[in-house]
Amino acid sequence: LNVLIIVFTEMRDKLRKWREDNHRNSEQIVDVGEELINEHASKLGDDIWIIYEQVMIAALDCSRDDLAWTCLQELKRQFPGSQRVKRLAGMRLEALEKYEDASKQYDSILQDDPTNTAARKRKISILKAQGKSAEAIRELNEYLEQFVGDQEAWHELSELYINEHDYGKAAFCLEELMMTNPHNHLYCEQYAEVKYTQGGLENLELSRKYFAQALKLNNRNMRALFGLYMSASHIAASPKVNATVKKANVKYATWATNQINRAYQVSYARCLL
Amino acid sequence: LSYFCLFHSGAYCKMLLHAAKYPHCAVNGLLVAEKQKEKKKDSHSTPILCVDCIPLFHGTLALAPMLEVALTLIDTWCKENKYVIAGYYQANERTKDFRPNQVAEKVGARIAENFSEAAMIMVDSTRFTMGCYEPILAIYDHHENKWKCRDCNVDSFEDWCEAQKITSALLEGRSYESLIDFDNHLDDLRNDWTNPEINKSVLHLC
Repeated sequence: LNVLIIVFTEMRDKLRKWREDNHRNSEQIVDVGEELINEHASKLGDDIWIIYEQVMIAALDCSRDDLAWTCLQELKRQFPGSQRVKRLAGMRLEALEKYEDASKQYDSILQDDPTNTAARKRKISILKAQGKSAEAIRELNEYLEQFVGDQEAWHELSELYINEHDYGKAAFCLEELMMTNPHNHLYCEQYAEVKYTQGGLENLELSRKYFAQALKLNNRNMRALFGLYMSASHIAASPKVNATVKKANVKYATWATNQINRAYQVSYARCLL
Repeated sequence: LSYFCLFHSGAYCKMLLHAAKYPHCAVNGLLVAEKQKEKKKDSHSTPILCVDCIPLFHGTLALAPMLEVALTLIDTWCKENKYVIAGYYQANERTKDFRPNQVAEKVGARIAENFSEAAMIMVDSTRFTMGCYEPILAIYDHHENKWKCRDCNVDSFEDWCEAQKITSALLEGRSYESLIDFDNHLDDLRNDWTNPEINKSVLHLC
C-alpha cells in the first residue's frame, strides 16, 4: 500500500513541476495525468481541477480528443459559466482546426470581459496557426500597447519578427524584456544572437558585449560562451578594425576558447573546437 | 548530368525522430555523406549515400551564431570521419507548410558552396504516420542559383523496406524522446549529437 502512495505522490509532484516549468512534454503529461485521473482522483483533492486543465491541454497536443473532452466536461460541470473553462473549449476547437468557431468562442469571452488577455492571445495564436504572420504581428503590437507588461507577449512578438527576418524589430522586443528583467541571462543572450544575425561591425560589437553580459549573469550559458567566441573572432578578422581593437578581440576569443575547452573537459565530452 | 542521393535508413529515421520529438516546432539538421575518393568526370556519377543525419535545432531557426558554431564543429567531426556535409533538412512549424523558406535556401546554398551536389530536403508533416508507409520528403537540388524540386520515392533509399521498418519501430518505441539535437547539446554538453544510442538501435533492427 505504501508503494502505491509513493507512486501517486511522485506522479502528482511530476505534474506540478511540469506545470511550474511550463514544460510542453505533452505525451508524458498525458501518460501520467490520465493514470492519475483514472486511478487516484479521490486522493487529489482540489488539485484535480488544475490537473484536468493541464491534462486537457496536453491531450489536445497529442490528438487525444477523447481525453480532452472528458477533462472539459468535468471542468464545465464544476465551474459552469467560467471564462477560463470557455477558453479551454476554444482551445479544443483550435486543435480540431475549427478556427472560426474558436474565434467566436473567444469573442464571446471578450464581450463579457474585454480585458480578458487569455482570449485575446488565443485569437492571435489562431492567426499564427493559419500562417497569417503579418496580421498576428499587427494584433500582437496592438495588444502590447494596452498590456505593455506582458512578457510572454513581448517574447512571442520577438519570435514572430525573427521568423520574418525583421531583426531590428525583434531586437526592440528583446530590449523591452531586458529592461524589465535585467538579470535574465537568456534575454541577453538572445538579444546578442539577433544583433549578430543583423550583421555589420557595430552590431557584431554589440552582440559581443551582450554575450559577455549574459555570461556574467550565468557563466554556464554555453550559447553565450560560443557567441562570445564567434563575435570576437569575426571582429578580429574584420579589415575595418584597427590594431588595438583587433588585439582586444583576439584576447576575448582566446579566453572564450579556453573556457569552452574547460567546459567540455568538465563534462567529459570531446571538444571539437 | 544527374546526381542523386540515396538515404541510409539511419539518416532517414533520425530526421523523422527529430520532427516527432518537437511536433510543435520547426526543426532542422544536416545530412552527411562519405567523402568520395575522387571526382568522376563521366556523366554517370555515383550516387551520394547520405549515411547519417545530425539534428541541429528546434524552434527559432533564423538566427545565425549557433548555426555557425554547429557548422564549424560538425565540419571538424566530418573531416575526422571522412564525411562531408551533403545536405540540409527542415520541417516547418506549421504542418501544412512544407515549402522551403529563406532559412532553408540560405543554409542549403551555404552547404552547396562546399559540396556542389548538396540536397535540400523538406519534410512533409501532413503525410507523417507511425507506420511510415511512404517516404515523406521533398528533395531540392541547386541549379543555377535556384532550388528545383525532385521526386522522392522508394528509389531514393538504399533499402526502403529497411528504412520503413526501422523508422516505424523507433517511432512506436518513442525513441525520439532520447534523440539529441545540437540545441540539446548546447543545453548540456554531455548530450551527444551523434546519437550513439539511436545508432545502436538502428543497427540492432537492421
